[in-house]
This record gives sequence, structure tokens and C-alpha cells, in this order.
Amino acid sequence: MAEGDDRTLLEVRHLSVLIETREGMIRPVSDVSFAIGRGEAVALVGESGSGKTLTGLSLLCLFPPGATVPSGEILFEGQDLLRLDAAALRMIRGQRISMIFQEPQSALNPVLTIGTQISELFKSHTDLPDSQVRERVIERLRSAGLPDPERVFKSYPHQLSGGMRQRVMIAMAIALDPHLVIADEPTTALDPTVALQILALLSSIRESRTKGLLFISHDLAHVRRVSDRVLVMYAGRIVEDSPASRFFGDGPLHPYSLALLSSRPSGTGETGRETPLPAILGQVPPLWNLPPGCAFAPRCPRADDRCRTDQPPWQSEGASGALCFYPHHSPLGAPQHVA
Amino acid sequence: MSPESSPLLETRGLVREFDLPGGGLFGRRKTLTAVSDVSFSIGKGEILGLVGESGSGKTTIGRMVMRLLDPTRGQVIFDGLDLTRLSGRSLRRQRRRFQMVFQDPYASLNPRMRAGEIVGEPLLIHGLAPSVRERREKVSRLLERVGLSGHDLERYPREFSGGGRQRIGIARAIACQPDLLVADEPIASLDLSIGAQIINLFSSLNKTERMSLLFISHDLSVIRYLSDRVVVLYRGRMVESGPTRTVLDAPVHPYTRLLAGTSSGTPSETQNGAGEPSASLCPFLTRCPEALPVCRESMPPSLENSESGRQVLCHLVAGHSSWKSSASPSLIQGSP
Ligand SMILES: Nc1ncnc2c1ncn2[C@@H]1O[C@H](COP(=O)(O)OP(=O)(O)O)[C@@H](O)[C@H]1O
Ligand code: SF4
Ligand code: SF4
Ligand SMILES: [Mg+2]
Repeated sequence: MAEGDDRTLLEVRHLSVLIETREGMIRPVSDVSFAIGRGEAVALVGESGSGKTLTGLSLLCLFPPGATVPSGEILFEGQDLLRLDAAALRMIRGQRISMIFQEPQSALNPVLTIGTQISELFKSHTDLPDSQVRERVIERLRSAGLPDPERVFKSYPHQLSGGMRQRVMIAMAIALDPHLVIADEPTTALDPTVALQILALLSSIRESRTKGLLFISHDLAHVRRVSDRVLVMYAGRIVEDSPASRFFGDGPLHPYSLALLSSRPSGTGETGRETPLPAILGQVPPLWNLPPGCAFAPRCPRADDRCRTDQPPWQSEGASGALCFYPHHSPLGAPQHVA
Repeated sequence: MSPESSPLLETRGLVREFDLPGGGLFGRRKTLTAVSDVSFSIGKGEILGLVGESGSGKTTIGRMVMRLLDPTRGQVIFDGLDLTRLSGRSLRRQRRRFQMVFQDPYASLNPRMRAGEIVGEPLLIHGLAPSVRERREKVSRLLERVGLSGHDLERYPREFSGGGRQRIGIARAIACQPDLLVADEPIASLDLSIGAQIINLFSSLNKTERMSLLFISHDLSVIRYLSDRVVVLYRGRMVESGPTRTVLDAPVHPYTRLLAGTSSGTPSETQNGAGEPSASLCPFLTRCPEALPVCRESMPPSLENSESGRQVLCHLVAGHSSWKSSASPSLIQGSP
């Protein structure tokens, strides 16, 4: 998407985050670029430690202590968030960009009623008269799919089920009508049937054509239900960016994405445990000890000598792209001299 | 799986209540029934999947089967022996035959012990490899069996990845060649690409070592891939059970239908009135998109389709010729 295109809500360019750790300097977010359009839900997929949550938090300019941002731009509605001062950022957080976390318990204050907590948002961020706040909060709770908003308003967090608490989090996240909602593993702690309801609610956020959703998840079945586009992260880098239709239809470009897709039991297939799952061997390398070249090379069935020494390029194909020498479907195909 | 002579494990009418802290205003003790009337069996070499949402009682059942927790009522019969009546030495003698793999490999391994000691400990306890050298050799073989190597003997849990730690937990569990493994969400906390490796390891242990498995998970596609039969739990009750493919391809219970994605109804948090479901009515009533008037009046019957080996707890199929009332085994079976 071109700059200034008003269909583009967010554009991240070459963002890197460095953190000093005991093991040495790591780069958990490494040269990350992607965009989210208005009315678009983009999924960010990857294993734990791949950098998903840090990338999400970066969009709120929330960095862990000791982190530095040596490069990058985060253009949100045309403004580079990295250049804003603290006061301007506070205005943006919650009001124009909001985030939903995995464990609603930890994000809610246990000693305040739900009503008090959401009302507080309106009181501190808007000039809505107090007399109208309650009505507005009830209306938000209702639109988050809570069946008895009056009762929820008066409840404390522990009096609600996990699914209801997550709906409350969503009500809070959409309270001030933000344009970008970041949901970090919002369904992991939930019963599978409740998770489906929450996914439906999340994907409705983007139905208002002005809003966008970044859906962080490691569950490809959930990603398939909510997203228009899929980003795959591996060891701090985005290794694939593809339309969901393509990713789940023709298949992804990057060997890691493909391996992830095929290592899960399909859930419908007739093959049972007599056929082993095509597991990816080995494990994710630690960020302080990445191999030279492509970080996936030690586990990649397509890897050749070049992959083991050189950083692979970003290769685009139509609306898709992958960080790989030999992406699937590429005219280059698999390396010829593969053993 | 053809019903072999007698099952390896059988639970009969398991119930577990917990006292809630505080108690009522007038000093009345409040209890929570975490598991209610759960009866199932696992054949030799069979894999039984136990599926349900978090808090549905899966872990509590696993812990009762392992005799880590006393049932309030009911029995756990292991290879013909009523484990609930065993204690002390006679229970310890059976213990090596059933072992547990935990969800959280971080929490379940002693951080101050080396991998070799962790895996060798049960051998020592049960006196299966008394000499140091014997034990070392055996532990190396066990580590290799689960995909680690003899070099890992001296390493501490923190030096392994999550998947590596889960492998140590499995090596420890299989050290004494148990007949039954109880695995409680063993891949839930593992990375995407590691889960498949661990699933493959379980199916290979089942295939080559003929270990029976109680596999606890909330992930239906994993249960479908791995298990011969499945038990679906909802709020501590078995709402449906039977051969995995049959149950998941054509689920009867509305909750299973929602899980399996074959329901046309929309799941709702509070379909039939908010709040706690009544203990004397269907546990799923408050969320059931298909409830009948009778569901508000009486507890659904436990029904059995003996031809397909299925059971369901629901009013919907009551009266159908293929579904007959199944008296709870806890009532018809006397103690041996
Ligand atoms: N030691 C305990 N004391 C009180 N309540 C408990 C205890 N252990 C479990 N429970 C309760 O029993 C119910 C079932 O829990 P659990 O067996 O852990 O479910 P699952 O493993 O399916 O998530 C839950 O409501 C849980 O809070
Ligand atoms: S660059 Fe090479 S090693 Fe990396 S994913 Fe592509 S083919 Fe595999
Ligand atoms: S007994 Fe009634 S309420 Fe319960 S699952 Fe069956 S139809 Fe639904
Ligand atoms: Mg559990």
C-alpha cells in the first residue's frame, strides 16, 4: 500500500527492537515491516518467543525495560508513533489503539466493579457528562455480546466466567472506538466453544470499514476463522505475509509456514496415529545464538549451503511474500543441488 | 478395539467434591462437585481421550486415577484391583504400573536435579536398577527412547527447551515400564512445531511398548488423531462417550456438536437464563441451543447404544429405540 493511501491504517517499516540480556544482545523484533488496512484483520502467527507480543506492544510504543529501537517507523494514520512524546502517546493508547490480552484476569482490577473500570475510561479520555457514562458503558457491554449488561456492570471480575471476562476486555478495548485493536492470544485460556464466539466478535470489529485488527495467535484454526491476511514470525523476523485465502488455499510460500500447517492433525482426516504427523524436527534456536544465514535453515527440508551462510531475501509473488531463497510456488523452486 | 478379557483400568461412579473456602454465611459448608458419576474403562493397549473445557474436571479425574487424590465416592479398578482400597505398601507396589505426564514441564521437574537423576529416580525407588552403572545405562536408553541423548544426563531442566523438558517428564514416566500413562494436556504448553513431535512419541509408545494411555486434552483434533475412544466432559459430568470417529463424526450431545462444529445452533453464553446451572438439571442447560421443555424439569437420563458402544447424557434421544437407559455402573456393580 502506498504512503498516504487513506485505506492504510498502520504501516510498520523496518522496525527493530534490541534488548540487552544476560546471554547477550538479542533482536526479538528484527527488521519487521507490514501494513494493516482499514477494515482488515491481520493475523500474526508464531511460536512462543518468536516476537509476536513484542511486536504488538511496539505498536503502542510499549517496550520492555532496557530495550532500544535502533531503526524503524510505525506510521499510524500517517503519524510516526516513534516520534511522539509521552503525552501524545497516552492519548493514542486506549483511545485510538487498544490491546486485548490473553489473561483477562490479569488486566482487570479485582477490587473494582466492571462498571467502575469501564466508566473510568470515559471519564479520563472523554468529556462525556457523568450522567451519560453509565448508559454508554452498558451499551458497550451489550455490543460485546454480554447478555445481561446491567448485571455485569455491577459485577466484580471474579463473579464472571472466563468467556464473559474476555468479553468485558473486548468491551473495554472498543469502548472509546479505537481504530486499531490488537488482540494477543485472546482465546487461549478459553473453552473451545466460547473461543469461537469470541473470534466471531473480534472479526466483527473490522466490519466497520474504518477499523483494523491485529490478531496474535499460535492457533492456525483460529487464524483461519478471523483473518484476511497472515503474517508468520520466526525468531524475530516476519518470514511470510500472505492473504489468508492463499495461505490456507493454495498453501503458504515459506517452508516454515507449510511445515506448521501440515504438522497439525487436520481434525477431519481419516488418518489416525498409524501415520506419524509430519513433525518439524529440532527446535527454535535461541535468539542469542541464531545460526548465520536463514534462522530456519537447521530445520528446513529445502535448505542448501547458501541458506546456511546468507540472509535470505524477501521474495514477493502477487500479494504474497516470503523471506526465503526457495519459497514454495516460486519459479526458482527448491534448490537443485539438494541432497 | 475388541473388548479384551477385562479392561486395564476402570472407573466406577467417580465423584469428587471440594470444600469451598469460607463456607456460607451461617457456617454451612459449601462444596463444589468437580467430578460427578464418571465411569469409563481403558483396554490394554488402548488410547482413551478425555476432552472438555478448562475446569470441567479432567485434571481431577486424572489425579484420582493416579491415586494422587482420593475420590469422594466411587472406585478406580486397575487390572482387577480396587486401588481405592489399597494403601501403604500394596499401593506402592502397584504404583510403578501407572504413571503421569504433566501439562507443565517447567513446574513438574525438580530444578535442582539433573535430567539423569530425574529419570533415574523412579528406578531407584522401585529398586529396578540398583547399581549406579546399571541405572546410568538404563537412563541413557530412556533418554534416547524419548528423542534426547545420553549427553543430556548431566543437564538441568532449565537448560532444556519446553519440548525437551516434556521429553524428560515422559522418560521419567516410562522408566518403570508402566502399563498405563495418564497424560494431562501434555502438549498444551508446548510450541507449535514441538507438539507434533510429542504426539508422535506418544503414539509410538502405544504402538511399540503397548502402553495404554489416558490422554487429556481440550484439543479435539489431537484427540481425534490419537485416541480410540473419547469421553466428553462438561462441568464434571460425562455427557458423551464412545469410539472417537463415531462420536466426533456424528455427535449426539449438543455440547459435543458445538465442539465438533456440526451444530447448526449458535452457541450462547446464556441461552436459558444466566447464572449457575442447577445441580438437579442438565449441566449444559444454560448454554444449550436445543433444550426441550423437559430439560427444565428433570435431569437427563444416561443412555446407551450398545451396538455402537456409545453413551450420552441428554433428553434429546430419550425414547429412541437404539438408545436404552444405562444404569450407572456404580449402582449395579458390587465390590469384588
Ligand atoms: N484442590 C481443589 N480445591 C478446590 N477446588 C478445586 C481443586 N482442584 C480442582 N478444583 C475445582 O474443580 C473443578 C475441576 O477442575 P479441574 O479438574 O482442574 O478441571 P480441568 O482439568 O478440566 O481444567 C474446577 O472448578 C476447579 O476449580
Ligand atoms: S531460505 Fe533456505 S533454509 Fe530458509 S526457509 Fe528458505 S529454503 Fe529453507
Ligand atoms: S438434556 Fe436438554 S439441555 Fe441438556 S444437552 Fe440435552 S437437550 Fe440440551
Ligand atoms: Mg487441567
